[in-house]
Amino acid sequence: RPGPGGARPLLVAGQLIDFQWKLGVAISADSCKSLKLPCVTVALKVADGSGNITCKTFEMTVPQFQNFYSQFKEMASVLETF
Amino acid sequence: MAGELEGSKSLSGLLSGLAQEAFHGHQGITEELLRSQLYPEVSLEEFRPFLAKMRGILKSIASADMDFNQLEAFLTAQTKKQGGITSDQAAVISKFWKSHKTKIRESLMNQSRWDSGLRGLSWRIDGKSQSRHSAQIHTPVAIMELEIGKSGQESEFLCLEFDEVKVNQLLKKLSEVEESISTLMQPA
Repeated sequence: RPGPGGARPLLVAGQLIDFQWKLGVAISADSCKSLKLPCVTVALKVADGSGNITCKTFEMTVPQFQNFYSQFKEMASVLETF
Repeated sequence: MAGELEGSKSLSGLLSGLAQEAFHGHQGITEELLRSQLYPEVSLEEFRPFLAKMRGILKSIASADMDFNQLEAFLTAQTKKQGGITSDQAAVISKFWKSHKTKIRESLMNQSRWDSGLRGLSWRIDGKSQSRHSAQIHTPVAIMELEIGKSGQESEFLCLEFDEVKVNQLLKKLSEVEESISTLMQPA
């Protein structure tokens, strides 16, 4: 059966065992001297069914983080109603 | 021929082409294409330095993220320079920046993001049923799928399972992030 996204192959869900975050601001870059871009970086540790642990990091802009957070809150409130 | 370059009619089109090439990563926009499309009466030798000048001006404005006061001051200075721009051209550039600023800034920001970014997110709630012999049935779990990827590379998918306890633990951390962001965004 398809995963939540629809057409992609089924992924086995892992357990999140650690969540680290940092908030930074990119000040200046080669392509843009005046950047002033806040960025949330997240480091996840995920355990699969066999106990293997993988680490994944990714970045989000502030609007992306806001969306991530609100999706999570929505998910939590639906979970609560079950 | 110089008169052709001084006119401002084709300048708007030129700036669009320059923005596409310099900021939005559009590959096929060559000097010759711009010249033949917008300034067909001008020779390549004369066109080249003109193009370089306009590209330089646009890049300076974008790189410094000029507000409108800075922009006016900058463009006025350019009109006073030897081999600078005309005031008509300054007006075209000003108008162009005002309408394309947001998109150009966004492209520039994306150019400096080299690590994996969050491309997509979806979730569902599964009602996990235990064996009919077990006392507990229908424990709901949340399944979240994250789509992660680096610029120009294929996405990677990460699938996570959360029970209510885990969700609340993570929510607490996320609220800490939000608090941090609020502190950052507060005017100094």
